[in-house]
Amino acid sequence: MAEKKDLARRAQGQLKVTMKVNGKEYTREVEPRTLLVNFLREELNLTGTHVGCDTGHCGACTVMMNGRTVKSCMVLAVQASNAEILTVEGLARRDGSLHPIQKAFTQNHGLQCGFCTPGVLISALFLLQRNPRPTEEEIRRGIEGNLCRCTGYVNIVKSVRAAAEAMSGGNAMTEKEMR
Amino acid sequence: MIPKKFDYRAPSSVSEAIALLGENEGAKVLAGGQSLLPMMKLRLAAPSVIVDISALPGLSYIEDKGDYLAVGALTTHDSIESDRLIKERFALITDAVSGIGDQQVRNLGTIGGSACHADPAGDLPTALLVADAQFVIEGRTGRRVVRAREFFLDFFTTAVGRDEMLTEVRLPNLPRGSASAYTKHAVRHEGLAIAMVGVALTFDNRNMCSEARIGVGAAGPTPLRVPSAEEYLTGKVVDEAAMSEVAARAAQEADPPQDVHGSREYRLGVIEALTKSSLRLARERAGMQGGR
Amino acid sequence: MSVTLQQQRKEEPRGRLEDLRLLTGKGRYVDDLNLVGQAYMGIVRTPFAHAKIKGIDLSKAQASPDFVAALTGDDLVKMGVGMIPQNDWPPPQRPTTTYHLAVGKVRFAGEPVAAVLSRTKNAVEDLVELVDVDYEPLPAVTSIEESKKGKALIFEDWGDNVVQRDETKWGDAEKAIASAPYVVKAREGIARQHAAPMEPHSTLVQYKEKDDVYEVCATVQSVHGLRRQLASTLQLPPAKFHVKVMDVGGGFGSKGAHAYPEPPLACIFSRMTGLPVKWTATRTEEFLEAAAGRDEYCDITLACNGDGRIVALKADLECDVGVTGTQSFMSSLSVWTMLHYEIPNVEVHLAVYATNKMPVGPVRGAGAPEGCYFIERAMNKMADKMKIDPLDLRKRNLAPRKPEEANDIKLIDSLVSRSRYEELLRWKRDVNSRFKLQGPTHSSLVAGLGVSFGGRRSFGGDEDEGEEGGSGAGPWSSDGDSAQGQGKESEEGKDWSKDQDESDEGGSSSWKDESEEDELEWESEYARVSLGQNGRVTVYTGSSPHGQGIETTFAQLASEELDVQLDMVKVVWGDSVLVPKGIGTFASRSAVTGGSSVVDACRKLKGQLIARVSELAGTKAETFAITDGRLVDTSRPSGTYPTVSEALKRLGVSEISAESTYKGSSLTYSSGVHVCALTLDAELGTAKIVKYVLVEDCGRMINRQIVEGQLEGGVVHAVGGSLFEKLAYDEHGNLLTSTFVDYGIPTAMDSPDVEVFHEVTPSSALNGAKGVGESGTIVGYAAVMNALNDALSFIRPGAHVDIAPATPDSILAALHHSNKP
Repeated sequence: MAEKKDLARRAQGQLKVTMKVNGKEYTREVEPRTLLVNFLREELNLTGTHVGCDTGHCGACTVMMNGRTVKSCMVLAVQASNAEILTVEGLARRDGSLHPIQKAFTQNHGLQCGFCTPGVLISALFLLQRNPRPTEEEIRRGIEGNLCRCTGYVNIVKSVRAAAEAMSGGNAMTEKEMR
Repeated sequence: MIPKKFDYRAPSSVSEAIALLGENEGAKVLAGGQSLLPMMKLRLAAPSVIVDISALPGLSYIEDKGDYLAVGALTTHDSIESDRLIKERFALITDAVSGIGDQQVRNLGTIGGSACHADPAGDLPTALLVADAQFVIEGRTGRRVVRAREFFLDFFTTAVGRDEMLTEVRLPNLPRGSASAYTKHAVRHEGLAIAMVGVALTFDNRNMCSEARIGVGAAGPTPLRVPSAEEYLTGKVVDEAAMSEVAARAAQEADPPQDVHGSREYRLGVIEALTKSSLRLARERAGMQGGR
Repeated sequence: MSVTLQQQRKEEPRGRLEDLRLLTGKGRYVDDLNLVGQAYMGIVRTPFAHAKIKGIDLSKAQASPDFVAALTGDDLVKMGVGMIPQNDWPPPQRPTTTYHLAVGKVRFAGEPVAAVLSRTKNAVEDLVELVDVDYEPLPAVTSIEESKKGKALIFEDWGDNVVQRDETKWGDAEKAIASAPYVVKAREGIARQHAAPMEPHSTLVQYKEKDDVYEVCATVQSVHGLRRQLASTLQLPPAKFHVKVMDVGGGFGSKGAHAYPEPPLACIFSRMTGLPVKWTATRTEEFLEAAAGRDEYCDITLACNGDGRIVALKADLECDVGVTGTQSFMSSLSVWTMLHYEIPNVEVHLAVYATNKMPVGPVRGAGAPEGCYFIERAMNKMADKMKIDPLDLRKRNLAPRKPEEANDIKLIDSLVSRSRYEELLRWKRDVNSRFKLQGPTHSSLVAGLGVSFGGRRSFGGDEDEGEEGGSGAGPWSSDGDSAQGQGKESEEGKDWSKDQDESDEGGSSSWKDESEEDELEWESEYARVSLGQNGRVTVYTGSSPHGQGIETTFAQLASEELDVQLDMVKVVWGDSVLVPKGIGTFASRSAVTGGSSVVDACRKLKGQLIARVSELAGTKAETFAITDGRLVDTSRPSGTYPTVSEALKRLGVSEISAESTYKGSSLTYSSGVHVCALTLDAELGTAKIVKYVLVEDCGRMINRQIVEGQLEGGVVHAVGGSLFEKLAYDEHGNLLTSTFVDYGIPTAMDSPDVEVFHEVTPSSALNGAKGVGESGTIVGYAAVMNALNDALSFIRPGAHVDIAPATPDSILAALHHSNKP
C-alpha cells in the first residue's frame, strides 16, 4: 500500500489531498470528513459514480482503489491520498471504444435505469480480473455488494458471463459448465 | 450521510498513533473503516479525532511462527480469505471472513478492525474466541498479550485501552487431529446475522472427540463459549445424537435478542441448527465418517 | 382496429440508445447536476410519529457560518403557500392533504418540520441538527386495529380515521357460500413495503429573476405532474415552471403520483435567496418519506361447486395508507384485480385507514399485486382442498375473452410445456420423499411448487368497446363510471363526497390549472414528431423513462413508421417547455399509450407530408408512400423520387411536425401465468427459488429484450416482497427498518434466475402493445407464496403463512404451531 505523504496541515480545517483518478493526477483541498465519493462527484465532476444509500450497502459508489474494489462512500477522500482510482469514466478506451464489459452489458440488456450500473461494472471488472471463468454462483457472489432494483440481476449475470467470454477469448465457461 | 466534523491525523508509526490516542480524549482508530464509517455517517459515532492507521507499514502479514500464526492487525479479510495456511489450520476463520459483508467490504475491512469493533453479531469475534486467539496490544508502557476470553468484554467493548492499539492477532495451533468450522445464518445476504456458531474439535485415534470448543455469536453482549456443551462432547463420538445434545446446550446458554429481524425463539432454533451444521462440517473436514 | 405494421419490421436493436451514456458514467441524474453558487437544502424531520409542535428554535442554526436561510410551516402559511393535495381522487375517497412543513402537529416519523439552507454540502446535516424543535408526543396510531379503535385521530376534523369505504357487490355471495360444497377461507396480506429505487429523490431549482421563471430539475416520473403540483401549491401559472429531468434512477411509482414537499420548498428558497438550491435525500430520508406500497390485508372466502367453478367470492379488504390516501384508489384496483375470473356472486368490502406512518402510494402494481395475490393464494388453497391441479382450476374459471384480446388457456398450456411442469412435479416428489425418508438430520430441504395467474386491464386500446362485458372492467372504463357491467354497484362515500367533475374519473387532481389547454386526460399521452430537412426525426414525448428503455422503444416506433434508420431518431422527454404537455410514466402505460401517441403523431406527419407533396405534384395523396426514406408515387413505380429531405426543401419548409394526444378509447388486457419452484429449509425457515418460469402475453413486443427485462425485474421485486421486505415499526411509530441492511431488498445471491416466454396477442392500441412494466410483480407474489406454502404443508399439513413477507420466523412459527402472525 502506498505510503501517505505528509498531509498539509490545517488551513481552515482543510487538508490537501493528491490522487490519481483514471490516470490523471488531481490535487485538491478537502475537509477530513469529505467522502471519496463526494470528492469524485463534486470536486472532480466525475459524476458517473453514484450514491444510493447511507450505510455502504448498495454499492452504487463502487470504484477501484489501488486495484481493489471499494465502496467510495465508505472511504474518506484523505484516505485515498496517493491512491490510484479507477471509476466508470475510466473504463472505456482512450479512443472512446467501450471496454468488453461495457459492450457485454449493452448487448445483454444488463442495465435499465443505469443508476447501479457504474458500481456493477467495476465490481464485475474486479471479479473477472481475479476469476476469468466464473460460475453463475461466483458471479452472483462477486456482485453481492451491488444492489439493483430494476433488473432482478438476471441480465447482469448474463452480461458478466458474456464479458467473461469476450475477455477470455472465448474460453469462459459454457452455460452447461456453469450450472 | 456526512459525518460530524473531526480532526484527522495519519501517524507514520505505531508509537505515534498511540501518542495521538493518548492525547485526544475523543480519538478513534480508523483502519479499514468498514465498521466505523457507517456509524459515523449515521452520526451514531462522532469521534473528535480520527487516527488513521490504514497506511501504517508492517501491520499486514500472515506468518507462521511455529506454534501459532501471527496475523497483522491490518490484514484485510480478503487476504485472510485467500490464505492457504489459515485455511489449512483454521478453517473456521476462513469460513468466517468469507461471510463478511461483500467483496468491497472484505477488500478494506481488517481483522484488527473487526476484533476491536467487537460487534457480537460480527463474524470474526466468534471465530476468534473459538480459536482461542491472542491479541497483542501496544500501549505507552509496552506490549501485552490478552487471550480472547479476556478480550471481548461487552457490546462493542474490548480490553484495548483508550491509548492502546491492537497490532497483531495470534492464532495458536490447534492440537493434532483437529478440525474447525464456522457457520452463520442471515435471512438474506447482506442482512444482519441472526446467529453464528464456530467449533473446533480434536479427535483422538479412536475417532472420539478429545477436546471440543463451541462458540456462539449474536446471542449476548459478547460471543460466548459453551462449557456445558464442550464438556459433554469430550470423550464422545460425534454422532447425530451427540450433536443434537450439544446443540441443545448451546441454545440453552445463548441469550439472543428479540427484534424485528427475528424472535428469540427463532434465533434459538437457528443456533441449534447451526451448531449441528458446524459440527458436521468440522467432522467432515477431520475425515471422520460419522455414524448416525 | 387491429394493428397494421405497415413496413417490414426492422431488426430489433441489441442494446439501447440510452446505454452508451449510462455505461460510461455520462448519465445525467439530478444529483449529478450542479449550478455555480448553489446552496444545499436540509430538512428537519420529526422523530415522533404523532406529536404537537410546541416551538421551533432556529437560533443555533442561524448562528452557524454555514447558515443561509430557514423556513418553518408557519412561514409558509404566512406566505400563502397551500397544502399539498394528495388524495384527490373522486369519491368515495376522502381527500387528504399534507403540509410541506408541518403546522401544529406532526403525523408520521420523518415528516418535515423545518427546512434549512446551507452554504456547503458537508454542513447540511450539521445545520439540521442545530434546529431545536419542542414536541409534545401524542399516542401514535401504528396499525389498522389502532386506527379503527381511534387510539388517536390523524385528522381531527374527520371524527374517525377512515379514508375510504367501498363495496362491490353482485349476486348473493352469502347464500352461494352457504350452499357450496367447497369453501376456503384465509387471512391474507402484504406488509408495508418500500419502493426502493436505487436513486434517492433529488431536486435542483434555480429561480431566474429576469424571466420570473423557476428552472426545476427533479427526480420525477412526470415533469408535467410536478409542474401541476408546483403551480397549484405556489399559486402561480404553470408556465412559470420549467421542469426538467433527464435520467432517473428508478421510480417504481414512488416518484410518480405522490407529491413531495421538497421541490416546492427548493423553489421558495431559491426565490428568497436568489441562489440555486439543491436537495438530495439520504437513503434514511427515502425510507422515512418516500411513498411506500402495499400494507393491505384480506379476509377472503372462496367457494366452488363440484366442477371447480367458483360460485362466490367474499372478501374484506383493509388497507393502511398512513397519512395520505394516494393508495386508496389503488385499493380499488386491488378489488378489480381480484376479479380476473368469472365469478357470479361477489361481495367485497374495502376499508382504508389512516395511521401515523408515511404515506402509501402506488408502488409497482399499485394495488394489483395485492389483489392478484389475494385471489391466487385462495385459488391454490381451493385446488389443494379439491385435490385438483392448480393450473386446471384456473382454466376452469377464466373469464371469457375475445380471441383477438387474449387466449389465457393457451397461456397456461404454454407454461406447462415451457416450464416442463411435469418434470417439476417429479422433482418435487423426489426431494420430498428424500426428506421423509432421511429426515431433517440429513437434509432439511423440502420442495414446493406454486403457480399464479394474473389478468389485468389497462389503458391504451383503440376500439369502441362500449359496455364492458365480464368482470374486471374495473374503474378504468372510459365513460367515467367507477363500476360497470353486470349490475355492479359501488357505494359512493356519503359523508364527505365533494362535487367532482365526472370526467375527472381516475385522473386529474386539484392541481389543475385554470387554463386547461395543457391538460391531458388521464388515458392519453402527448407526442410530437418532427422531421427536418436533414432527414432527422425528433420525437417529443410526455412519457418519462426511469429504466424502461422508452428512448429506444419510441425511436424504434418512429423508425418503423417513418422508415428511417434508428440512429436518425432522437427522443426528447422530461422538459415541460420542449414537451408542452404530458401525463408521464407509470401504470404500465408508456409503451401502449405513449407509444401509440408516437405512432399516431408519425402517421399524422406522414399524412401531412404526403398531402403537401402530392398537392405540389398534382396527384392524389393516396398514391404516395414513404419507402426507404424516399417519397414514392406508387402509381408510377419507376422513376426517381425525392428523399424526405429533398421533398421538404422543394416544399420550402425546414421542418414538418405533427402532434398527437392519443387517448385510448378502450382497455387493453394483458395476462401472465407464473410457476415458482423452491426448496425450503425446514430448520432455518429459509427458501431458495430453484426455478422460476413465466409466460406472458403483453401484446406486440416492440423490443423483446426490454420487455423481458421488465418482467424479470418485476418478478424479483415480488420475490423481495414475498420473502424479505417489510417496513417495521415499534409501538411509538418509529420506523425500525431504514437502511438496506434492515430492509430486505434482495441481493444477487438472494435472487433467482427467471425464464420468460411469450404468447403474443396484439392489442387494439396503435402499436399492438400492452402494458408489461408491472406485470412481473403483479403475478409474482402469489407464485412465490403458493410455492412456499406448498412446501410448508408437506412438512405439516395445514401449516400456512399467508401474510407476506413470509419470513423464516413466521415460517417456523407456522411449522411449530405457534400463534405468531
